[in-house]
Amino acid sequence: MAEHKKTLKTSKKATPTKSKKNEIIIVKKLVKKFRDFTAVDRISFSVRRGEVFGILGPNGAGKTTTLEIIETLQELTSGKILVNGIDVKKNPWEVKSQIGIQLQSSNFYPELKLTELLKMFASMYDVSVDPIKMLKKVHLEDKAGSFANELSGGQKQRFSIAATLVNKPKIIFLDEPTTGLDPHARINLWEMINEIKKTGVTIVLTTHNMEEAEKLCNRIAIMDNGEIIKIGTPKKLISDLLKKGFKREISKQKASLEDVFLDLTGRKLREE
Amino acid sequence: MLKLNTKSKKPRQWKAYFAMTWYAFLAQTRNPASFAFGFIFPIVFISVFGLIGDQERTLTVGISETTEPNQVLTVLEQQKYMELQTGNAKTLKQQLKEGKLSGIIEIGDHKVTILSSTANPVEAQALASVMEGVIAKTNLRIAGIENPYLTLYQREITGRDFRYIDFALPGQIGFSLLSTSIFGTVFGLIYLKRSLILKRMFATPTKALTILIGQGTSRLIIALIQTLLILTIGVFVFNFHLPHGLTTFFDLMIISTIGLIAFLGFGYLIAGLSKDDNTAAPLVNIITLPQFLLSGTFFPIEDLPSWIQPVAGNLPLSYFNAAVRIITTEGGNLTETMPYLLGLAAWGIIMYLIATKTFKWE
Repeated sequence: MAEHKKTLKTSKKATPTKSKKNEIIIVKKLVKKFRDFTAVDRISFSVRRGEVFGILGPNGAGKTTTLEIIETLQELTSGKILVNGIDVKKNPWEVKSQIGIQLQSSNFYPELKLTELLKMFASMYDVSVDPIKMLKKVHLEDKAGSFANELSGGQKQRFSIAATLVNKPKIIFLDEPTTGLDPHARINLWEMINEIKKTGVTIVLTTHNMEEAEKLCNRIAIMDNGEIIKIGTPKKLISDLLKKGFKREISKQKASLEDVFLDLTGRKLREE
Repeated sequence: MLKLNTKSKKPRQWKAYFAMTWYAFLAQTRNPASFAFGFIFPIVFISVFGLIGDQERTLTVGISETTEPNQVLTVLEQQKYMELQTGNAKTLKQQLKEGKLSGIIEIGDHKVTILSSTANPVEAQALASVMEGVIAKTNLRIAGIENPYLTLYQREITGRDFRYIDFALPGQIGFSLLSTSIFGTVFGLIYLKRSLILKRMFATPTKALTILIGQGTSRLIIALIQTLLILTIGVFVFNFHLPHGLTTFFDLMIISTIGLIAFLGFGYLIAGLSKDDNTAAPLVNIITLPQFLLSGTFFPIEDLPSWIQPVAGNLPLSYFNAAVRIITTEGGNLTETMPYLLGLAAWGIIMYLIATKTFKWE
C-alpha cells in the first residue's frame, strides 16, 4: 500500500505533455478495483500512432475492463490515461468524440435500418455522414435497407465496425471482433481491419485467436490476472520463447485443418 | 480549457436529442408489440365501451295484472326510461328476486308501495326517486292544479344523455397513457440495457440524460397520438361529446402531456431499479394494476368501499381521470383541474427524484 502511494505521487509529477509524439495512448499505473477485487493491477503500456495493438489473455484477465476504462465507459480507481494527449478522467467527452468503439457482442436497435442506425450514431457524435459511403467501406452497401438483426454474424461485425467510423476517429477499439465468426468471415474481417489501418487509424483490439494476433497486430500485450505479463511484437515474443529453449512437442504440420476447410469451401468471402 | 486548439468543448446535445427522439419513435412504430399495445388495444377497448354505451338504461317495473287503471298508472306510463311489465304477483316477485325487475309497484287507495330487492340495490334507489316524482305529479293532478306555483317535475336533470362512453373514454385515455408510459418505458429501457444498445450509445459524446430524455419524448409523442386516436374514434364513431369543441380538445392534450410526464417518472423508476424483465414484471404490476382498478378507469371511485376511497382518490391515474372528466363530462376549464394537475406534478416530481437516486445503467 505504501509503495502504491509513492508511485502515485511520482506519476503526479510527470507532466502530461511529456508523451512522445508517436504514442497515441499512454496508460500509466492503471488500477481498477471492484470492492475487494482488483480487476486491473497497476498496468502501464502505450500504443503507437497508426499501429494495430492487440491485448491477449484468458477470460477474466482484465482485457475488457482495461479497454472500457480507456474508452471512458468505466472509471479508473487510480493511475493516468492519455488518449491523443487528452486526459481520460479530466475530459472524457473529448476522448469519446475522438475514438470509435465496438463492444463485445454489440447490438443495435432491431427496428432500424442500417442507414438509419448510421445516421443516428452520426447525430450522437454531432457530425453528418453519407451512410451509403460508410457501408461501402465495409462492403455492406447492398444491405443498406436491411435491419441489423437480419445480418449474419460476420456482416453484423462489419456493420458495427462501420458504426465505429462515423465520427472519423483517430483510434478504434475492437473487443473480440472475430469471436464466433466462421473462418471466411474472420479472414474477411482481418482484411477490413488492415484496410482501416492503411487510412492511418490506430486500432486496439482484444482477441483469443493467436493467429489473428500474429497476422494483424504490430505489437501485443499479454494480460493475466489484471497484469500485463509481456509486451512486444509477435516475432519478438516468439524469439524470446525460443531463446528460453522452448521446443514444440509435435513438429509443425505443413497444413492445418483450417487450411483444409478453407481450401474446400473457398477462401473468398461468402455472402452468408 | 480556454485554449481554442484543445477543443475541450462539451458536446452539443440538441442534434443528438432530436435524433434520439426520432429514431426511438421510428423504432417503436415498427415494433409489433408496442404497435399492438399502443394502437390496436385502445381501439378495441373504446369500441367495446362505445357499444356498451349505446344501450340506454331503463328501469323495468312490475305491475300486478289485477291493478285497475288509475291516475298513478297514467303518470307512470308517461315516464321516460321506464318500462312497465304486467304479470301475476307471484311471477313478478320471482323476477324481482332474480334481479330482472327494478321493483314492483303496488298501487293502493292512498298509498303506493315499492317492492324492491337486495338483488338490485342501485336500480331500487333510482326507482324510489322516480316514484317520488311520480307521486308528486299525481297529487297535483288529483288536486286539479294544472299550472302549479312551483314546477319541478317536467324538467330533465341533465342537458344531454349521459352514456357509458362519456365515462369510459376519459378512463380509456388514462389507461392507455399509463400503459404506454410504464410498460413501454420499463421493458423498452431494460431491452436497451440488456442488449448493450444503451452502452454503445454511452460510448458516444451524447450524455446519458439526453438519451433518456430523447427516449421519453418519443414515448410522449406515441402516447399523444394514442390520445388523438381514442378521441377521434370516440367523437366520430361513438358520438363522444366535447363540451367546448376544440378548446376541450386542446385542454385534453395539455392534461395528457402533464399526466404522461408524471407517468413516465414511474417508468424510469422501475426501469432504473430492475435488472431484467423478471424483476421488472412484479413492480410494473404492483404499480399499474391497482391504478387500473381503483382510479375510476372502468367504474367510479365512489362505487368502491369507503375505506379505500381516500387512497384510490389520490393515485396519479385518479388525478388524471378526475381532471379529464372535469373537462369532458362537466364541461369545465383548465383552471378547475388545477388541483389535480398539481397532484400529478407532485407524483411526477417524487418519482423523478427517487429515480435519479436509484437508477442503474447496467
